[in-house]
Amino acid sequence: MKIDVKQIREGEDSVTVRYRQLTPFINRILAVLKDSGGKLWGKSGDQSLSFGYEDILYLESVDDKVFVYTDEQVLKIEGSLNSFMLEADNEIFFRCSKSMVINVNRVSSLRSLSSNRIDAVMEGGEHIIISRRYASEFRKLLRGERE
Amino acid sequence: MKDKKKITIWERYLTKEIGIEFKACLYFFAILFFYCVYRMTGGIFEASMLHMGEMILTCYAIGYIQVYLLWNFDEAERMGIKECLGILLCTCIYCLVSFIGNWFDRKLIPTLLLAVYLIVCYICVFVIYRSKRRIDDKKLNEDLRLFQTKHKKE
Repeated sequence: MKIDVKQIREGEDSVTVRYRQLTPFINRILAVLKDSGGKLWGKSGDQSLSFGYEDILYLESVDDKVFVYTDEQVLKIEGSLNSFMLEADNEIFFRCSKSMVINVNRVSSLRSLSSNRIDAVMEGGEHIIISRRYASEFRKLLRGERE
Repeated sequence: MKDKKKITIWERYLTKEIGIEFKACLYFFAILFFYCVYRMTGGIFEASMLHMGEMILTCYAIGYIQVYLLWNFDEAERMGIKECLGILLCTCIYCLVSFIGNWFDRKLIPTLLLAVYLIVCYICVFVIYRSKRRIDDKKLNEDLRLFQTKHKKE
């Protein structure tokens, strides 16, 4: 595929896509262009699927691979939990342990445990333990006192 | 770069030690109260320092047994079969030491009353912590709803 990139000094930014046949690859480019705000891509088997930040229940890092859990699927995404947190730059995502990030907006209830730990029950019914190390930060986040 | 959030072995050890220290003090004062009441009912208004030393050492020893030998059972967390067995075992050890240490003049009835009293103490600890957690649950869920309302609007 021929790629033509040209810098302009004036006028509005524009992208023109010229194709002979609407292939899945072209479709993907169009989807990215149409939905450039707040869409992510993940892999489930051989398929690449897009999803929004609001679809995420939680993320888990296993053996340097990051998996996103949504209501219906588990998707592998590129990067690390740290890079995700930087990219998302959103208060609704909270790092609740070394290997997990939760979407606070998708937490259905919280339960206080001994040793100042918190059990977060997600909308999908999963129980995620917020360790004592992160629990005080989580309480601050909920109260809007986080720096 | 060192991960500041990572718990070091020292911090892990210290957490366990603080837990043992806290429980040892709690149960020591509970046993001391029972001991003083026993002495006073017998018309004695002095307490033996040797007995008090034995009590605090026993409380520490049981704290270590609870954490390192008895599956780290925590009566403040839940009251299941494991916890009940742990409580019974610890109560038996307390009673045995009190009998050997002559805390209650090796009388059977005060020793049995101590056993009942300790079981009640364990149950009270569980009930108090459960109530504290329930209040905390309410507060946490209220804060969560406020957070979600605020962030879903944005």
